[in-house]
Amino acid sequence: MAEEKHQRPSAADLDQLLARVSLGDRSAFSALYTATAPYLLGQIMRLQRNRGLAEDILQEVFVKVWRSAGSFDAARSQAQTWLASVARHNAIDSLRRQSSQPQIHSLSGIEDEDGEELDLLQKFAAEEPGPEQQWQQSADAESLRRCLRVLSNEQSQAMTLAFYQGLSYSEVAEHLRQPLGTVKSWVRRGLAALKTCLQQATG
Amino acid sequence: MDYSRPSLADRLAAEYVLGTLHGPARRRFETLLPAHPALQQAVQHWQMRLAPLSLTAVPVQPDPAVWQALQQRLFGLPIEREPTRGEPLARPAVALAPPASWWQWLGLWQGLSGLALAAVVGLSLLLAQSQSVQPPVVVVLAANPDSGASAEMQNASFVLSLSADGRSLVLRPINAPALSATRAFELWAVPANGAPRSLGLVSGQDGATVRRSGLLQGTAAFAVSIEPAGGSPTGAPTGPIVSLGRLQI
Repeated sequence: MAEEKHQRPSAADLDQLLARVSLGDRSAFSALYTATAPYLLGQIMRLQRNRGLAEDILQEVFVKVWRSAGSFDAARSQAQTWLASVARHNAIDSLRRQSSQPQIHSLSGIEDEDGEELDLLQKFAAEEPGPEQQWQQSADAESLRRCLRVLSNEQSQAMTLAFYQGLSYSEVAEHLRQPLGTVKSWVRRGLAALKTCLQQATG
Repeated sequence: MDYSRPSLADRLAAEYVLGTLHGPARRRFETLLPAHPALQQAVQHWQMRLAPLSLTAVPVQPDPAVWQALQQRLFGLPIEREPTRGEPLARPAVALAPPASWWQWLGLWQGLSGLALAAVVGLSLLLAQSQSVQPPVVVVLAANPDSGASAEMQNASFVLSLSADGRSLVLRPINAPALSATRAFELWAVPANGAPRSLGLVSGQDGATVRRSGLLQGTAAFAVSIEPAGGSPTGAPTGPIVSLGRLQI
């Protein structure tokens, strides 16, 4: 496990590593772990802040990666996207098990009452360029940021609470002190609007 | 779920990727995902759309104990030092792979060709012993409220009993309403990866008995869908999946 400076691996490298892992290549598995574990742990810890539990989740994620790398379809999906998805869902499961009421942490101005809800959204795309661009093309982030901005504040706030804190609809509703049906409708309409906007962006 | 309705498939995929699909709905979704290319595609599109949201995470270097525990779990390599953090208990993985069991010894025995005779004797002993202690597997195929099928199908469930050697199963309906003459229930073995295998048509009154080898191999779940009277014309489920049960061994 080389303790390298954080250098995001290229998407193509990860795809290749994951393909080799699916064939049972342990050295590729080790390389994939070295390349991605810090990023995945960072993502997991955004949802599960207890480091010991977060590292347990990380372990589960890589067990799953080893056992089901074959189900990853490189023709359709990027390895990094697939890995991030596995990590996210494992982290959300951990929150569910831990408590039906996960603690709410403020990550940014998302809880402000003065219209600063978009802070989080600005943050992700305002990351300094450089290695980030290798990890994910920044054009995608730019499109997403632009499209999130066209949503209503309620829609984007409900969606980002769900995404960044792994909250269920009822938890988002409680947090925002809104009826459950209202929150569901915000999220669903927000997702639909987002899709439309992104499709227009890519033509 | 009736994924022939693209709007439903897209909404569920979006909620799955966002993280708001929870509990039984998400488990059903994940179980059926491998069998539905259109649904997989919807999920992948949403993963791509929302992927930039993950960029904010600050990398955190995991404790070396995590990697050591992984190697120990997956490859049986010894842990070099005492882990400092609470060593993760090896939670039993969801039984997607067949358990360590007598049939996994087959390959090993066959490899030792010089000991063929001994192998045969040993294997039959193993078989005799294992079969006497391995109970049948029972799977409840719970009604799927998201199937998109008619209201009377909302309670259609089945119980499936599978012999431990994976060679025969008996399916019995519970609350399965009668179907019109143009439609039939069809039973499917859903693998963890790849397309589901049809196990044939099923009577809503009497269920079915299936004898076939390898019923357990690679099977992650069983499902019942509604198909045209002669069975699915495509070889894959085409109608709503009214009942679903994950195989837990």
